[in-house]
Amino acid sequence: MTASPAVVATRLSKSYRKWGKTRAFGTLKSAFLGRGLGAALSPSEVVNALSDVSFTVARGETFGVVGPNGCGKSTLLKLVAGLFKPTGGTIEVSGKVSALIELGAGFHPEISGRENVVINGIMLGLTRKEIERKLPEIVAFSGLEDFIDEPVKTYSSGMYVRLGFAVAVHVDPDVLVVDEVLAVGDEAFAHRCLDTIADFSRRGKTIFFVSHSLALVEDLCDRVLYLEHGKTKALGDPREVLAKYRMDVADEEGARLARAQGENQAALRAEKTGGTGESAALRAERTDARREREIFSEGEKGASATGAASATGAPQPHSPFEEKPPGHQESVQQATTPTASAPLEQKNPPAPVEKPRRWGSRAVEITGCRMLDASGAERYAFRSGESVTIEIAVTPRAPLSDFVFGIGIFTPEDVCVHGTNTEVDGFLPSRLDGPAVVRVTLPECDLGTGAYLVDVAVHSRREAPYDYWRGACRFQVDAPDRAAGVYRPGRRWTFQGPLALRDTRDGK
Amino acid sequence: MLKNLAGLWRHRALVGVLVSRELKARYRGSVLGFFWSLLNPLLMLAVYTVVFAFIFPGRSASTSPYALFLFTGLLPWNWLSGGLTDAASSLTTHGALLKKILFPAEVLPLVAVAAQGIHFLLALPVLGAGLALGVAGVLGPAVPLGWPLVQAVPLFVLEGVFVAGLGLFLAALTVHFRDVKDILATGLTLWFFATPVLYALPDIKSERLRAALLWNPATPFFEAWRDAFFRATWIAPERWGVLAGLALVAFLAGYAFFDRLRDSFPEAV
Repeated sequence: MTASPAVVATRLSKSYRKWGKTRAFGTLKSAFLGRGLGAALSPSEVVNALSDVSFTVARGETFGVVGPNGCGKSTLLKLVAGLFKPTGGTIEVSGKVSALIELGAGFHPEISGRENVVINGIMLGLTRKEIERKLPEIVAFSGLEDFIDEPVKTYSSGMYVRLGFAVAVHVDPDVLVVDEVLAVGDEAFAHRCLDTIADFSRRGKTIFFVSHSLALVEDLCDRVLYLEHGKTKALGDPREVLAKYRMDVADEEGARLARAQGENQAALRAEKTGGTGESAALRAERTDARREREIFSEGEKGASATGAASATGAPQPHSPFEEKPPGHQESVQQATTPTASAPLEQKNPPAPVEKPRRWGSRAVEITGCRMLDASGAERYAFRSGESVTIEIAVTPRAPLSDFVFGIGIFTPEDVCVHGTNTEVDGFLPSRLDGPAVVRVTLPECDLGTGAYLVDVAVHSRREAPYDYWRGACRFQVDAPDRAAGVYRPGRRWTFQGPLALRDTRDGK
Repeated sequence: MLKNLAGLWRHRALVGVLVSRELKARYRGSVLGFFWSLLNPLLMLAVYTVVFAFIFPGRSASTSPYALFLFTGLLPWNWLSGGLTDAASSLTTHGALLKKILFPAEVLPLVAVAAQGIHFLLALPVLGAGLALGVAGVLGPAVPLGWPLVQAVPLFVLEGVFVAGLGLFLAALTVHFRDVKDILATGLTLWFFATPVLYALPDIKSERLRAALLWNPATPFFEAWRDAFFRATWIAPERWGVLAGLALVAFLAGYAFFDRLRDSFPEAV
């Protein structure tokens, strides 16, 4: 192994020419008839896919590239593979490159797998002798012994990819470029691919690895480049770079949720004021709200006939936060057993499968709902274990003394993670005379990574909803590790007996 | 460019396997197999023979027997027109490949031209049978046969180089101008009639028209094919010079143009 690096990129830039909207490609006719050949070939706009990216990959290093879609990853790979030429800067790659950019690219559907392997191998730079010597090994690796003489068009997509991977790794490259190829193929084959990549790494080969699977990148890579909008955002230790990337993704998600929340609130305000400039959409929503109210009053009359009420699609007027999650189960029933409820639907129009967003008598109205962090700032992206506060603003139509405030946290799959209300937590209502703000803080919100929905509600102590709002807020939780599940408690491991483990946690 | 040309020589094995793949894939699953490649020229031969021997009779003696005369021109023409048509679209149809595998792109138009060349070779036994009948005098006046036939070998090479050069140019152009294929189809029809395929050049009465047709770069090739196959006369060295010059200029110019645009292919296809 020599000390010279495998890949050196210096101020690497790549821009694409973007043509006008009216034509995807030039035509010779227009070039001659119109503005001349020069004008036809000159782009109307230039898009920078990659700008000023520099890095060096040492021989034997596994180098990861991460970033959101469109950040320039694929462009970078194509530059490394030599498929594209840089528009600025230089890239030097020493040794033979094999790109697993699209496996089986170049297979011809009509001819047999064996012939395709030979052609593909020669295309990737092997001589005819070499490929023929390696053929049995390639066939064995792909596990397609029984099909190798069939035309490739009869292969499943998984078989196709397996054969393509088998050829690409047997080309024995010095630099292996892997682009998100492990997402295809079955579990067993994916493991074999990873083993092969690990084996390459052991043999001192350089690997250029692109994946959206951050866990895989963290496992495999020695260093990671994080690209954003074609620029280097971070470069270095996988843990640090990936932590930064995860943080950025969470922040972005948070910003998006905050925006969505803002729109939600605006819609709500517009609904409340019902001004002259009201949009059709909001009017429609208002009508919906009125209908919900009507449905509710109907449901209230037949409060004991819970089965019937649920079958008609009206949410049941009972507290969501005690033994049953509110409306969710009814919704599920609606969705899964539409035929069973059919006879009961004669009076009402067929129950819509979609779940109502909001219902209740509006004796107390929820005028706003937002989420706050420990410092009291509005936020919709949290790290696991952080303090999370849900804030509800309410306005009663008239002063009243019978009220319960409740919140519920759900996964997008409608699994209730947690539900509680003031009554459950031991607060008895005595009076509500005007606009008020209610906050509930979860000091250590030990949720696992994922998106969550918040339901907020005000209802009577006899569980008749005043205002029940499903999905009033959406928030995102990110955990620093890859533990699975919605609950992420603190953990402590102890080991006894003849075993040894190496502690690789931070600071050790 | 010279470096790339040398690289191309290293990739001759690739051209070989791709040509055989092309032919295998084309005929796999069809009962008649490669005879399909004979069927088309035979059909054209039948149609043109009927039209020009029975509907518009009165050929000059230099073109009879007309069926044989026509066949000796039609076969190399089919190679030229088929090769150019396939070469022009070779890069755009294999665009996915260019974006994903690093290999010299010129392989693709060259494979297209070479595959059509193989079709030409596969049709030669039919021409041989025709020649045998012609020599025996079955088709009309007996045609001469002799050693000038061997001229077909260098002629085959030169036409291959000539068509390859034009094919490289058209392939590169088609990447950036998608209407080249359509223009080419029309252009080939025009070129067909401007080339001595249906007629012999000496039969043209008008001096000026004959002079104009001599400017057609394909004319020397088709006159030469006739001399080798039909008239059994030796081609003068200066005509070989012209043929070699045309082939080399077409190839080098086509290759230079292709080489110049090479880097733009993976992005533009």
